Amino acid sequence: MTTSLANQAWDACSSALQFDRYLAGELEPPDAERFHAHVDACARCTSALNELRSGAKERLPPLRVVPFPPRSRFPIRALAAVAGLAAAASLLLVVRSPGTRLKGTGFALGMYVEHRGEVRRAGRGETVAPGDAVRFAVSAPVDVFVAVLSLDANGHGSIYFPAGGRAERVQAGNDVALPLGTRLDATAGEERILGLFCASPVELEPLRLQLERGGPEIPDGCQVTRWSFVKR
Amino acid sequence: MSLDAGAIERLYRSHGHIVLRRARALLGSEEDAQEALQEVFASLLRAPHSLRNATSAVGWLYQSTTHFCLNQLRNRRTGARLLQSGVAPAPAHVAGRGGEALAELRRVLSRLPADVAAATVYHHLDGMTHAEVAGLLGCSRRKVGYLLERAQRSLALLEQSA
Repeated sequence: MTTSLANQAWDACSSALQFDRYLAGELEPPDAERFHAHVDACARCTSALNELRSGAKERLPPLRVVPFPPRSRFPIRALAAVAGLAAAASLLLVVRSPGTRLKGTGFALGMYVEHRGEVRRAGRGETVAPGDAVRFAVSAPVDVFVAVLSLDANGHGSIYFPAGGRAERVQAGNDVALPLGTRLDATAGEERILGLFCASPVELEPLRLQLERGGPEIPDGCQVTRWSFVKR
Repeated sequence: MSLDAGAIERLYRSHGHIVLRRARALLGSEEDAQEALQEVFASLLRAPHSLRNATSAVGWLYQSTTHFCLNQLRNRRTGARLLQSGVAPAPAHVAGRGGEALAELRRVLSRLPADVAAATVYHHLDGMTHAEVAGLLGCSRRKVGYLLERAQRSLALLEQSA
């Protein structure tokens, strides 16, 4: 093999696959014991194992629901209508900020939950389950930059929408589904949701960090809606 | 193994770092690696039976990640992205293992046939034996030897022409 490739080769005594299978508990007990005994006696393998263990501690972002193709496979309006829940905008789960900094009213955030293949519109304080898919929909009288952030019961902040680092433009409309959903993790307890409606594509990572510290301060040119659901 | 959405979410939390680590090494871009992480598990949400039939969840994730990343490398090449602007900067921990050589390797992998490229990744980057590679590719060890010989010939030719 070429020199450059040789330099990149996995250099522990067993393959990376074996290490990962060992850490995942997939090896048969006798194989796992042999593996463990070897690693204990081999500095190179100990180092490799420690590196993999360290990497396994990395906090992963929320698992996204598959982005909707241009023609939605997840007909929110139709589903809501069938469920008899699209009757009025007043059903939207909205607590408008008292200090609206984006001119105008009518900015609202709603949420749909898919549980075991069934879709329902979520109510305020709704109980959801780990593994449920959630997707947000917004109502806005004008085109606006939107973001959805969350703070879970462990105090970890996440950006549910969009996937990029800045709020994303959404066209004016009623109950417009955001093109990205989230699969809920197993962190139990109340999860707070922050819907941002902004006049410009604000940076979201600073807001996520502020959220974890008890904030955030609402950026100029934005208004916010807050609500929550309970995961158990 | 029950594979409802909750089980897949738990698998994502417990095994997602495997996908992310290998995607970072193969793609050299944090953004692309994060996308690979989401796509691998999105494919599982769409077709959970693909894992139900597998003997090892880790093995399935290796296959799926490799398949996705090699496709991405080929797509980059098709789009002339690599040729025009070079490989995206690798994160520090990847660059630390020889970032320039990995960039060269990505360029080479994008030019190899799919099975040859996959065998190369498994054997040289993941340190797998021929038997392990054969297990993931679903072929004989002899076939693995043949694929790796082809890779070596292709790489030698590419080095000569470089």
